[in-house]
Amino acid sequence: MEILVCVKQVPDDSVKIGLNASGAPAIDGVTMVANAFDTYALEMATRLKEANEGTITVVAIGPEKAKDALKSCLAVGASKAYLVSNEGLENMDSLATSYVLSKAVSKIEELNGAKFDLVFCGKETTDCTTGMVGPELAERLGVGCVTGIVDISLKDGGISVKQETEEGYNTVETAIPAVVTVNKPEYDPRYPTMKSKMAARKIPIDVITGADLGLEADKTAPAVKVTALSEPPKKQAGVKINEKTFEDTMAKAMEVLKEAKVF
Amino acid sequence: MENCIFVVMETENGAVKNVGFEMITPAKEIAAAKNLKTVAVIIGNDVDEAAKQAGNYGADAVITVDAPAYKTYASDEYTSVLTTLAEKYKPEAIFIGATPNGKDLAPRVAVKLNTGCAADVTAMKLNDEGKIAFTCPVYGGTILAENVVETVPQMATVRGGAFKKAEPSETSVEIICEDEITLKAEDIKTKIVDVVKEISEAVNLEDADVIVAGGRGMGSPENFALVKELADLLGGVVGATRAPIESGWISRAHQIGQSGKIVAPKLYIACGISGATQHVTGMVGSDYIIAINKDEDAPIFDIANVGIVGNVLQVIPAMIEEIKKMRA
Repeated sequence: MEILVCVKQVPDDSVKIGLNASGAPAIDGVTMVANAFDTYALEMATRLKEANEGTITVVAIGPEKAKDALKSCLAVGASKAYLVSNEGLENMDSLATSYVLSKAVSKIEELNGAKFDLVFCGKETTDCTTGMVGPELAERLGVGCVTGIVDISLKDGGISVKQETEEGYNTVETAIPAVVTVNKPEYDPRYPTMKSKMAARKIPIDVITGADLGLEADKTAPAVKVTALSEPPKKQAGVKINEKTFEDTMAKAMEVLKEAKVF
Repeated sequence: MENCIFVVMETENGAVKNVGFEMITPAKEIAAAKNLKTVAVIIGNDVDEAAKQAGNYGADAVITVDAPAYKTYASDEYTSVLTTLAEKYKPEAIFIGATPNGKDLAPRVAVKLNTGCAADVTAMKLNDEGKIAFTCPVYGGTILAENVVETVPQMATVRGGAFKKAEPSETSVEIICEDEITLKAEDIKTKIVDVVKEISEAVNLEDADVIVAGGRGMGSPENFALVKELADLLGGVVGATRAPIESGWISRAHQIGQSGKIVAPKLYIACGISGATQHVTGMVGSDYIIAINKDEDAPIFDIANVGIVGNVLQVIPAMIEEIKKMRA
């Protein structure tokens, strides 16, 4: 089983990101990490590989620095990694990103000498949260797609997945090749060990350029343009009640709430 | 039907999800300024009532594609139907609810139509060039991006609760029934073999006047019952952050925030909720916020009208007691 996991390097999502003095997202100095949902996708792919057999390749589109995210993936299940250099591709929207990824899939298949059976993506990224790249990639590859899955197994030469819905879940079957996007499963991604980190460091990460992919310029231009950025209006804090005893706190709280005619 | 905006209504057992009706409101405003028609598109089964309702909520016309094959959302089938309708009617814009199904459908149709799609829209207006400027939260909601879709149709997925649905009024509008599209076997790539509904009750957070929401700080499913008790007492609806949902204390239908609903009730009581941006963006528009948390530095207190520093397991029962006394 040949598996590709698409990864994006994003700013650590536990850090609150506002705008800097020039009105751009203040991400300077924020640790860059592999997108959380992509790490869930990699963990799910790794478990599938371990239960069956196969090889996991990871790919990211980004600057040279994004190799760090790929290295972290090589330490927890992936055995090959490619970086698609984003030089000249910095302002892509989801539609353009899915186009470049679809071209990268063919290129990597050529380099690996094998076709992918499954492509895993995170359900969404924690920075832009569009959740569109996975299904768009599937559409471009002309293969089946299941979004927001929390479990996967092989069945009858295809796959059977558990897909979260608003009301519960669906069991969905699809032939391979296919693209799946992964939501938070019941388990957490594994941590790398010293040994796996050392081994990962030795794996070369090949860089693929836009020129290597033979991209058409009009397809890498964003259809969705960002015309302005702002921070949401701040809300004023009201009163905080923290008296010495619980009884006093409660009494004061109820007094304030009665005064405000809340109840 | 040249010159229209498509508003795609998602149905569940024939009933339209709220976000569908909500999207008619901004669609009509834009349609009025651009001399367009607001057309509700309903793909489903037994959708006559839904079509009537779409008219009542303000759609100028309704297109239905009604067949047993569309009873539940099916990715390949719905993608082909919506793409076909868009190619036939050439709408200026297509709005789809940002539900799990809507977010599955929109990107696939966007690729087929080779157009851009703004995601998770919380506000929209016409800009000076006559294009729709969509507001989309990014970085967990700490930054709002204004996005313009340069291509046509201008597609967008719209967050539930971001817009208010109109007061319904009995209106008779044109209903166009389009034929089912039978896909070739090779074009049906995914097959839903089992549907499990874990939620039996309808959860209507968008229309609630009172929401009592619980977070990780509730600690256990047993303790989470206190949230429900307080909500019931106040005639409110139960909300939750992501943690209790992932822990299985309550179903996803109750989720408020970045990956759930946007709510703006008259009263919001946050119990054991720290106030992560991802949650706050979904409820900061509430008229009056009470926060209960034992950590006095919890960020939720920064947006609360009244913050009560204390253990939720003590505060909620005491509050319930007090409210009962007041009403006695």
